[in-house]
Amino acid sequence: MIGVSAGSAAMYQAMTSLGFAADSGYQGPIQLSGAPSGASVLVLGAGIAGLVAAYELRKAGYQVQVLEYNSRAGGRNWTLRGGDRYTELGGFTQECQFDPGLYINPGPWRLPYHHRGMLSYCKLLGVQLEPFVQCNYNAFLHRTKAFGGKPQRFRTIKADYHGHVAELLAKTVQSKNLDASVTVEDQERLLTSLREWGALDESYRYAAGPLSSDRRGFEKDPGGGLGGRPAFSEPLQLREVLRSGLWEALTLCDVYDMQQTIFQPVGGMGMVGQAFARELAPLIRYNAKVIDIQQDDHGVAATFQDTAAPSAGRQTVHADWCVCTIPLSVLGQIPMKVGAPMANAIAAVPYAAAVKVGLQFKRRFWEQDEQIYGGITYTDLPISNIGYPNSGFFGDGKGVLLGGYLWGLDAAKFTAMTPDQRVAKAVEYGSQIHPQYPKEFDTGVAVAWHRSPFTMGCFGMWTEEARAAHYDALCAIDGRIVLAGEHASYLPAWQEGALMSALDAIGRLHRRAVAGAMPS
Amino acid sequence: MNIRNVGIRIRARHALAAGMALALAGVTAQPAWPQEEGVGMFSTGKLKTISGAEVFQNICQGCHMPDGKGASGAGRYPALAGDGALASTKFMAVTLLEGRRNMPAFGGTGDMGLFFSVPTLDDDQIAAVINYVRSSFGNHFKGRITATEVKALRRPSTDRLLPAH
Repeated sequence: MIGVSAGSAAMYQAMTSLGFAADSGYQGPIQLSGAPSGASVLVLGAGIAGLVAAYELRKAGYQVQVLEYNSRAGGRNWTLRGGDRYTELGGFTQECQFDPGLYINPGPWRLPYHHRGMLSYCKLLGVQLEPFVQCNYNAFLHRTKAFGGKPQRFRTIKADYHGHVAELLAKTVQSKNLDASVTVEDQERLLTSLREWGALDESYRYAAGPLSSDRRGFEKDPGGGLGGRPAFSEPLQLREVLRSGLWEALTLCDVYDMQQTIFQPVGGMGMVGQAFARELAPLIRYNAKVIDIQQDDHGVAATFQDTAAPSAGRQTVHADWCVCTIPLSVLGQIPMKVGAPMANAIAAVPYAAAVKVGLQFKRRFWEQDEQIYGGITYTDLPISNIGYPNSGFFGDGKGVLLGGYLWGLDAAKFTAMTPDQRVAKAVEYGSQIHPQYPKEFDTGVAVAWHRSPFTMGCFGMWTEEARAAHYDALCAIDGRIVLAGEHASYLPAWQEGALMSALDAIGRLHRRAVAGAMPS
Repeated sequence: MNIRNVGIRIRARHALAAGMALALAGVTAQPAWPQEEGVGMFSTGKLKTISGAEVFQNICQGCHMPDGKGASGAGRYPALAGDGALASTKFMAVTLLEGRRNMPAFGGTGDMGLFFSVPTLDDDQIAAVINYVRSSFGNHFKGRITATEVKALRRPSTDRLLPAH
């Protein structure tokens, strides 16, 4: 109703306060046009930032060349499928043996509804999207020391935590302890809401019965006919729920970046990079390892080695301008003619360790045995997540799940292993949650991002202090060179951050080009 | 990727492990498991060993490789084998404490304001792994560094507010 009576500014303000408009700031398709005649741009890196930059700059009328280290486009936007071969730093090679149609996304796996830039380009490029199940009430929450290591269903912990808290708060209201904080009328409303929220009975108690079973699940589900009578389940005690610590995982679906509806590309996240690659095919040079980036008053020059033809020696490409999207982990080692502020910024950001493990099983036992259809199980085991596939439900064939999504020290340890060891360890850990693992396990792959030859890490780790000291210098145009990528954004590790940084960078670069500005 | 600060700062409280190491046999340097199992995404990022070899095998070799020879892709991880810079234990200690370019600081609190902790090493561990690396992979550098000497090199913050050294 707000928009009906207010002007657009007031509406935006109201939307912001309601949380609707606080997204990536994507304003819709960038409208760049009128590139100076014959002007050229060199884009370094064909990840999301480089691909978006190349796409829009070409549309604006620039001559665009893209240099990409890998033999494919997408960078971290990537899907591993059966038949793919991946060699990590150190020479450890994996040959993915997944069945046709099955895959794992070693990098990003989901697109929030408010990442409107990514969603917009997916639509533009014809990349089909489907829902990613973030919140599955029937998935597990697990801690090795909670309930003897027996995984609990999300619905059980959520219902019992809310129910007991609601009961306590109702008691507090009824004993007049909130009179100073809440009006009498509001206390009535609060009590009514607590009954609803906590599934409390008419005595404002959270107890075994139809109401609590309707949230947490039944001892015996209602059925039909003579044997159809349900049996109600007994709630866990509050102390058990609190001490289990499993409540820590209850809000993981509530965070803005994880809220449903959240999406994934049909067929794998890498479909986005592949779609861009088709669109930009003549512009992209693959297997190009950039080893030097120079600029002067007249233009930029990037020297590269063709890793597919090492005997060809070094080659240099020239352009008027450069959008450099190379991850800082790599860029910091490439001689680049920029000023100290940008150079210091590049050197200030180490990359985070992360590991993803994809495991193929002979049957979708999580569906057939556990009725878990998509979604995520959370655990305090080093694997931290088991992510069930969000497509192909009820299939009789094999299935691939995310068998581990590791961070911090656990990621470092897994990075230090061989791929086979990572897969074996993920199977070992997952067996504590799904005893079917050892019998049904088929094959697996594991990507440790510090051993990825093209990123040497997962994403740039900014601290608040580092951003205050270096971020603006990183993003500013230096002569003829501007940087872009998730590292040049306030959405670290999100593709939307890479995309938004690219749009911002090329907008500024284009203005400079059109104005004929010369570097000082 | 989907890493944002989810607003949940989770710190697991866990009892000290009793003899957790899983000894793995084999010619290649397979990591032992000195950290208590079961800390996962809530991990405080602390490896429970003061063996330089175990620190190396659990963390360092991820980048510097099990043979200490580094690796090269779009960029490179330097070799520790035969690296003349290792002659300076002080240089190594400062590098481990504060990081250098893509190498993170291992001397911090582990808290980067992210939803996960980064690995941290204490003075004993830093001294142990320095001494290990300088006497392994064909290296025969003289002298050793002590935990006390490492501690003396710590600065109040590992933030890289100063130009890269």
